[in-house]
Amino acid sequence: MKPLDTKKDYQNYVDKKSPNSPIFKNCFNAFWVGGLICSIGQIIMDFCKFRGLDKTLSSTIVSIILIFISAFLTGLNLFNKIGKFAGAGSLVPITGFANSIVSPAMEYKSEGYVMGVGAKMFTVAGPVLVFGISASILVGIVYLIFNTQSITLV
Amino acid sequence: MEKIGLQTIKFSNPVTILETASIVGPKEADGPIAKYFDQCLDDEFWGEKTWEKAESKIIKETVNMAITKSKIPAQDIDFCFAGDLLNQCISSSFGLRELNIPFFGIFGACSTFVEGLCLGSVFIDGNGANNVICAASSHFCSAEKQFRFPLELGNQRPPTAQWTVTGSRMCIPY
Repeated sequence: MKPLDTKKDYQNYVDKKSPNSPIFKNCFNAFWVGGLICSIGQIIMDFCKFRGLDKTLSSTIVSIILIFISAFLTGLNLFNKIGKFAGAGSLVPITGFANSIVSPAMEYKSEGYVMGVGAKMFTVAGPVLVFGISASILVGIVYLIFNTQSITLV
Repeated sequence: MEKIGLQTIKFSNPVTILETASIVGPKEADGPIAKYFDQCLDDEFWGEKTWEKAESKIIKETVNMAITKSKIPAQDIDFCFAGDLLNQCISSSFGLRELNIPFFGIFGACSTFVEGLCLGSVFIDGNGANNVICAASSHFCSAEKQFRFPLELGNQRPPTAQWTVTGSRMCIPY
């Protein structure tokens, strides 16, 4: 092995030796698992509409059911096996969000209910909430400005 | 002893290792050097309720195993150098507090064990001690809990992701 002189040489060496993630396989698995989860959500929604519930209530029920299934599977230590297989397919829908709250809650139970579960429950989901809500506030402000402007122009 | 160059110490009395012991977790037991470990565990809890307590138990049992093998009673061991990955080296300090051996908690991540050997050897060569214990401990679950993500989180790890060791190793130099 010839001596590696620079950081760049070493980084090239590491990249050459590291096995690549199987991107096509991962994308394919994420695709069909994510699609399956969303299809299940759609089935639940159609069932609720069939039973005469309105659109808002149906979508709330879909969220509740998917969150429950995700939390239940996390508790049984099954969701992380699905996640290892499906990657973004299970993490991007609402199932991933539920998993990201239940998993720290389970992990930190050993530190007590207030300082453990209560304080640490949002360690993974926290940034999602903060930046998601902040982004929606920005969008709302932009909408307010442009909406008001379009009214005054007319 | 004398210092040579920038980072080398030369001992006047060579220090030798008297006895060693190691206990590892299930993943390490599946590895290629499994037969060299003294004990392999079936799960990461070893009967304890939390991973930190399990890690304390692992290092305590490792140290007791080496002390028994060496036939030196614990009272005759002068100092203990031990460390792990957690905040305040809590699993080693709690695991080894019943030994009643003066305890130096050290932190060097993966190099903790060698760091202990260096420091223990300096004590022995300088006639500060006759026998010392050098130990290091690590636990995948407690390290993930402190530094990375909860174990139940459904994220994908790339093929090159590293896996923290679950195990404890100690030796008695004299």
